[in-house]
Amino acid sequence: MQKSLYKAGCTLAGMLMLTMSITACGSGNSAENNGAAATAGSGNAAAPAAKAPVKISYLTFRVGTHASAKMEEEQIKQFNAKYGNEVEVVVEEIPSDAAYVDKIKILAASGDVPDVVMGKDGINDVLIKGNLATPFNDYLDKDAEWKAAIGEDALASNTRDGKIWSISDQKQNIGYFYNKEMFEKAGIKPAETWDEFMSNNEKLKAAGFVPLALMTGENAWTSNLILAAMIGTNGENGKTFMNTLHPTDFNTPEMIQALNMMKELLEKYTTKDALGAGYANAANAFSQGKAAMIANGPWMIGDFSDPTKSSEGFDAKVGVAAYPNNSLISTYEVGYMIGAKTPETRDAAEKFIKFKTGLEGQTLALEYGNVMPVSSEVQPSDALKEKYPIMVESITVAQKSQLHYRTLDSIVYPNVTDAWKNLYPKLAAGRATAEEIAKELTEIAAKNK
Amino acid sequence: MVRKNRGYITLFLLPTVALFIIVYAVSLVILFGTSFTEWSAGRSPVFTGLANYIKLFTDDADFRQSALNTGIWVVLQSTVHVAIGTLFAVILSMKEFYWKFARTVYMFPNIISGAAVGMLFLCMLNPEFGAVNSIVRLFGNADYSQNWFMDYATAFLSVTMTWLPYAAVVTILILAEIAAIPESLFESARIDGASNFKINLYIIIPMLRNIIGTCVILSGTSMLQKMDIILMTTGGGPGNQTMNLPIYIYKTALMDNNFGYSNSVGVFLIGFGLIFVLLCRNLFRIGSSQN
Repeated sequence: MQKSLYKAGCTLAGMLMLTMSITACGSGNSAENNGAAATAGSGNAAAPAAKAPVKISYLTFRVGTHASAKMEEEQIKQFNAKYGNEVEVVVEEIPSDAAYVDKIKILAASGDVPDVVMGKDGINDVLIKGNLATPFNDYLDKDAEWKAAIGEDALASNTRDGKIWSISDQKQNIGYFYNKEMFEKAGIKPAETWDEFMSNNEKLKAAGFVPLALMTGENAWTSNLILAAMIGTNGENGKTFMNTLHPTDFNTPEMIQALNMMKELLEKYTTKDALGAGYANAANAFSQGKAAMIANGPWMIGDFSDPTKSSEGFDAKVGVAAYPNNSLISTYEVGYMIGAKTPETRDAAEKFIKFKTGLEGQTLALEYGNVMPVSSEVQPSDALKEKYPIMVESITVAQKSQLHYRTLDSIVYPNVTDAWKNLYPKLAAGRATAEEIAKELTEIAAKNK
Repeated sequence: MVRKNRGYITLFLLPTVALFIIVYAVSLVILFGTSFTEWSAGRSPVFTGLANYIKLFTDDADFRQSALNTGIWVVLQSTVHVAIGTLFAVILSMKEFYWKFARTVYMFPNIISGAAVGMLFLCMLNPEFGAVNSIVRLFGNADYSQNWFMDYATAFLSVTMTWLPYAAVVTILILAEIAAIPESLFESARIDGASNFKINLYIIIPMLRNIIGTCVILSGTSMLQKMDIILMTTGGGPGNQTMNLPIYIYKTALMDNNFGYSNSVGVFLIGFGLIFVLLCRNLFRIGSSQN
C-alpha cells in the first residue's frame, strides 16, 4: 500500500513538474500570455498551449540620426504592444538608405527578401519583375476601412496592371524653406516665376548671403527637387515628363533648359562644397544660417528647433514656399511591400503593414516624424501645431498650390538616380553641356535591366 | 614517414579543401558561367555567348576609364607606396629617433577602417569647413580654397593621397625581414669600412628582394579591391574621374541591375590580378634563393 502510495505520489509530482515546464515553455514573452497559459492549465489540462507569435523579418534604414528614426521606433513599439503576441517583428537596422537599397537588391538576386520590404529606389521593380512580392488586392478587398485610410490616389500610384504592389505610407508635398531674415535683408519675397527666382538669387548674393543649400552627392536630393520643379513647371510637356514613370528619353527642351539653369545655380549660387556634398552638408548649411534656401519636405521641420542641428530660435526665422508658378512636388511614397513566402508570414506581414499605413500608423508618422499622411482624416494635433507652426504653414502652401508633379527619384530608374552625383560636377565644371548630359541620362536609362 | 601520415594529412586537409571548393571554386565557376549571360536580380540568367565581352572591349567608355584608373593605382601602389614603406623600414631599423613611437604612429591609418579614413579626409578637405582650406585661407585669399574631391584637376590625386603614403604594413613586413639578417654581415661590412648608406644600398636592400616582391604583390592587389574610400569621398566622380573596376562592378550590378555584365567585368578583374601576380613573381623571382 505504502509502495503504491509512494508510486502515485511520484507520478503526481512528475505530472505537476511536466505541466509547469510546459506552461513555462509555451508562455511566450508577454505577461498576458503567462496569465492565459496559467488559467488554461489550471482549468483544463487538455487545452492547447498558447500559440507562439509568427516571426517576420523587417529591415529598416530609419535609425540613428535619420529624420524618421523616432517615428519608426514609435510605430514598432506600439505595434508590439498591440499585436506582439501574434506577430514578432525581427528588426534589422541598416544605418544608411543607400546601404539598405543595396542589401535588398543583393537579397533579391538570391531570391530571399525580408518579409516586409520598403520598395523605394527601384526595389519595387526588382521585386515585381522577380515575382518576389505579393499584391495587396485580396487583403484590401477584405478590409474596406484600411482601403479608405490609404485612399484611391495613393493606391493608384502603386498599382500596375490592376495589382496593388505596395502601400504608400506618406504623401510628399515638397516646396522649399527659406530664411526670412535673409530674404528681408535682401529685400525679396518668395519668387512667383523662375526669372524672379534667379533674380532673388542674385539679390541674396549681393546682400552677402549664399542663396541655396544644394548637394550633388548621394542622390542629389535637394538639387534634384529644384530641377524637378524647373521641368515640371515648363509647360504641358514638362508636367507630363515629371508625371511619367520611367522616362527613357531625356533629350527634351524642358530637361535641357532646366539643366542649364542648374548649371548656373551650381556655379554661382550655392556653397563651395555643394559638388559632392551629401544631404547632411546641405541641411547643415541651411540650419546653421549659411544658406538662404533649401528645397525639402516637412520632415525637416523638426530639425529647425532641434538644438543639436540649429541655433536657438532658428525655427522662427524659417518660412516655407511653393516653387514658381504656384507649383509643388506632390508624390506618394512607394511604401511597403510583402516579400514573405508562406501564407502565415504573408498574413503577419500584412498585419504589420496595415498598422504602419492605417490611420493609427499615419497619425504616429505625422506626430513623431512630421510625415504628411495619405488620408485626409489624419490631422495634426493641437500640440503639434503649436510646437511646429511651420507645419501648418506647409499644409496651407500645399492646399493653395495648383500645379503638381513628382520627384525625379520616384519616376526615373535607380541607375539614373545614381548617376547625378557624377553628372552634376561634369555639368558645373563645363566638361559637358546640358545637351550632352541629357544624352548621357538617356543612355544610362537604357542600361537599366 | 609521409606515407605513414598520409591518412592524417588527408584528414586535416579535407576541411580546408571543402571550404575552398564551397566558398571560392563554386563562386568562381558561377561568376565565369554567368558572365556569358544576361542576368538581372530576380530573373533567371539567359545565355548570350560573348556579347558581354564584346561590349566590354568595344563599346564601353566607363569600363575603359575604370580599367585605366585601376591600372594607374596598381602601378602607383606597387611602386611609390612600397618605396615609401621600404624607406621607412630602413630608417626605423636604425633604431634612432624614437623609432617605436614613430612606428606606432605610422601604423594608425592602417588600423582605421577605409570608410572612416574616407570620412576623415572628406571632412579635412571640405572647402567650407575643412582644416586644409582653413589653413589655406590663413595664408592667402579665400579663393585658393578648393573642392579637392570634386574638382577635375585635383580629384584623382586627392583620392590617391588618402592611401598612397600610408605604407605601415609594408614597413612592418620589411622591418621583420631586416631583423632576420645576421648581425655578422653588418659587422664584417663595418670592419671593411662601409658606411651606413653603403650597408643599406649594397647589403640590406638586395637581401630584401623576396619580401619587397611580396609587398609589391600585396600592395598592387589591394588596389584591385579598393572601394570603400572611393565611395566615401567621390563615388567615382567627378564624371568617372575616380571610378575603378570594383566600383564599376558595383554600379553595373546594383544600379543597372545587370549582374551578367557585371560578372564579365569581374572575370576581367580576376584575369588582370592573375597576370599582375605572375609578372611580379617573375620580376622579383619570389621564392628563389637570395644568392
